[in-house]
Amino acid sequence: MYQAFVGLEIHVQLLTKSKVFCGCRAAFGDEPNTNVCPVCMGYPGVLPTLNRQAIVQAYLVARALDCELSESAVFERKNYFYPDLPKNYQISQLGSPVGRNGRVDLDLGGSRRRVPIREVHLEEDAGKMIHAGDVSLLDYNRAGTPLLEIVTEPVLERGEEAELFLQYFRRMVRYLGVCDGNMEEGSLRCDANVSVNRPGKGLGSKVEIKNMNSSRFVKKALAFEIARQSGLLDRGAPVAQETRLWNENRDLTEAMRSKEEADDYRYFPEPDLPPFKPDAAFLLDVEKGLVELPSARRERLVAEYGLGPDQVDFIIDEKSRADFFERTVALGADPLAAASWLGSDVKRLLNREGVELAESPLTPERLAGLLVLLASGRIHGKIAKQVLEVLFAEGKDPETIIRERAWEQLIDAGAIAKLVDEAIDANEKAAAQIRAGDEKPVGFLVGEIMKATSGRAEPQLVRSVLKERLAKSR
Amino acid sequence: MNHSARWSNVLLSPDRTESYLDYARGWEKRIGSFLELSPPVPASPPRGDLAGIPFAVKDNIAVEGFNLTCGSKMLAGLKSPYTATAVRRLQEAGALVVGKTNLDEFGMGSSTDTSALARTSNPWDTSLVAGGSSGGSAAAVAAGIVPFALGSDTGGSIRQPAAFCGIYGLKPTYGAVSRYGLVAYASSLEGIGVVAESVGFARRVFEVIRGIDPLDHSSVEYLPSGQTPPRPRLGVVRGLAGLSGEIERAYRRAADLARGLGMEVSEVDLKTFDYVVPAYYTIATAEASANLARFNGIRYGLRPEGTENPEQLVKGARNRGFGDEVKLRILLGTYVLRSGFQDRYYVRAQKIRTAIRNDLQALFGAVDLLLLPVFPTAAFKHGEAGLTPFQQKLADRFTVTANLAGIPALSFPMGSEAGAPLGLQLLAPAFEEERLFRAAESFAEAVPLEHPPGYSEEWRS
Ligand SMILES: [Zn+2]
Repeated sequence: MYQAFVGLEIHVQLLTKSKVFCGCRAAFGDEPNTNVCPVCMGYPGVLPTLNRQAIVQAYLVARALDCELSESAVFERKNYFYPDLPKNYQISQLGSPVGRNGRVDLDLGGSRRRVPIREVHLEEDAGKMIHAGDVSLLDYNRAGTPLLEIVTEPVLERGEEAELFLQYFRRMVRYLGVCDGNMEEGSLRCDANVSVNRPGKGLGSKVEIKNMNSSRFVKKALAFEIARQSGLLDRGAPVAQETRLWNENRDLTEAMRSKEEADDYRYFPEPDLPPFKPDAAFLLDVEKGLVELPSARRERLVAEYGLGPDQVDFIIDEKSRADFFERTVALGADPLAAASWLGSDVKRLLNREGVELAESPLTPERLAGLLVLLASGRIHGKIAKQVLEVLFAEGKDPETIIRERAWEQLIDAGAIAKLVDEAIDANEKAAAQIRAGDEKPVGFLVGEIMKATSGRAEPQLVRSVLKERLAKSR
Repeated sequence: MNHSARWSNVLLSPDRTESYLDYARGWEKRIGSFLELSPPVPASPPRGDLAGIPFAVKDNIAVEGFNLTCGSKMLAGLKSPYTATAVRRLQEAGALVVGKTNLDEFGMGSSTDTSALARTSNPWDTSLVAGGSSGGSAAAVAAGIVPFALGSDTGGSIRQPAAFCGIYGLKPTYGAVSRYGLVAYASSLEGIGVVAESVGFARRVFEVIRGIDPLDHSSVEYLPSGQTPPRPRLGVVRGLAGLSGEIERAYRRAADLARGLGMEVSEVDLKTFDYVVPAYYTIATAEASANLARFNGIRYGLRPEGTENPEQLVKGARNRGFGDEVKLRILLGTYVLRSGFQDRYYVRAQKIRTAIRNDLQALFGAVDLLLLPVFPTAAFKHGEAGLTPFQQKLADRFTVTANLAGIPALSFPMGSEAGAPLGLQLLAPAFEEERLFRAAESFAEAVPLEHPPGYSEEWRS
């Protein structure tokens, strides 16, 4: 058997309003070359200015990964020629990145493990080159948007572990609000390095894997690559140190055109940006952004509200959902009911309407209102589901809905007594049977009353009034 | 003040602009200091401390509406889409840009002869170079076309042409003037400065352009000590070798004059002096190799026709767009930054740079000002009869010290010999530009400013 060592290099597109070194909008999907200026187009004479929001977010991620935060983060020029890179160097970090020596403790398929984080560094993204027939087109909208690179130590051993780590990481950056985590659209990108060797022999030849556009592909690509390298070692064949691409159509990794020599990026300190030295006010801003992270929140929700494992996993998966849940509970809803409604009826309606919880007409106030109505018996379960439907369709408060549709349960004893009397009059035979001590027709009479009120009458009350009436007249 | 009064009216009416152009064009036929000359006709009288005063800008500094060629075929025809902070501040003070001046290609040279676009000559004698790289700016001021001009100084590029043309040239403290809008050659060494016909103009312009700029993170708040010693201690360097006779005489004469002007003159040693040129060229070319990488013919600038793919386009643009001196420096810079070689070159040069700073800091404990030649010779001749590119680089030894240390230096005229002006420079600790101005004013009282033949003020009155 062999031992595999997998390290991940994750690129995170930060959710800042503007680009990292100029004031252009950092937005995607706009008309090509509309979010550009002399700075991000690399015009002669311009200079980069560091975006505070980007550096705050960079330190925030480093902090959330328990890194040692740099007291003097140095930007460096990474030199290489490529048409989508306007300056033909990328402002990046090498010797003194934002964060170093961090760690993540997480559950990797049953066992609690520690994944050491080598470094977190901030850099600028390049533009995009598109080949269309015999012309090449360049769009610089993405050029200069902030990119955070996170490098783990090679301690993961299987594709599944990499997938779990990536899922954990994605959830974390979404919690921190620094990235939307969309791997298909490339706002979260993951490359891996894999080496396989006999146990105890240390790392083998390192192979880089690129082009894995989802966490599922990361799992599949790594499983393939570990098996491929193990197969080579079995046959006594060498493992070439190279870069391979995941081919999602053929489910395998393929060697990229090999380079004759290693790239020499000729890094040197960026003379246009002095080292960034965080002061107390800056670090305070970072701490303010440090929200409760998913793992901590999971533990707390279980302890505080008694949620089950599946329920809590569903609730904490999205920060907005967990926030929604806790707000609903704070407004008086029963926690288990809230979790269960969010995981079933609400989820079903969101899927059907194709909207996110945050954009839907449902608010914590409305859900809490509905659940309180249900708990207090003013409506019963079936009506509650109908109220939710109407709420999604019309965007009204539950109170308004039940008033407009007169869906509130009939709980007025006088009104119920009147209904009971009418039912007795209309069903002499059944009434007589009950009076004679045969309880069988009680259900039938309750059913008649429910029918007459379209289900609004409170069944227990109807039953007890009915029994009372028929007992009295004996 | 009466100086500016004469200058502030020269562009106030179409008639005046016409006589302005007559004077300027008369000179330009001989000296070619401008790459672009188009004085504005202001719609309303300008306001501000420098209201109506014309000035020229070296063509590696951005002015919206003007070209930004850097003297290179690579950027011939490029219109700047924005304005440099230093220029904007002067415009806000009412000064008027009349044009863009010639320079060595991307500021790389000491003669302005490496410009790919035009030839600039010295107003004193057109067989002589104007110096460089801010040769166009210095020549235009010496000829009396403008009272001051902006230049840039990476290793002497303001002070040396100022000395060659017999005017004043200030290289400010690093970071005192925003570099936003200065096309980068060696970012950690260079800055925008001023060449001027008088100390007064140099000071007034410096006061307008200095100060922190949010668009340049390497700019700093201007915080001088506010103390100018009434009897400054002047250091003169012992055992300077390789000076031409006229420069050696000028240097000795200045030291003698200084005593007469009440300065305390003492001899000092510059221990790091032998290392400044290699350290300078290692750092400057390393930075240049990255700074000039952006010129690839894709987004602007020279674009060769008929290329098959992006790689061919970039190679073609750089091969045809850059001159030999630029290519040489890019190659040198790429070489010293290679992995495995950085320790031997780039890192070592940075260590030398730190040693130079420390050397000067210690020196400025003992003296208030340092007197140095600007260049080992007076202005040399164009072409073969002048200095080889290698000799020119060695000759930068007196000027690059201030750039490596980030301190201010001012070159000032020291008369002329055989029809060529002579200049020397004063160095001061960071932010002590005022010391330089005061000392230069003292020297000016003893050595009256000389003008090249053909210089005239009459058209201005
Ligand atoms: Zn921009």
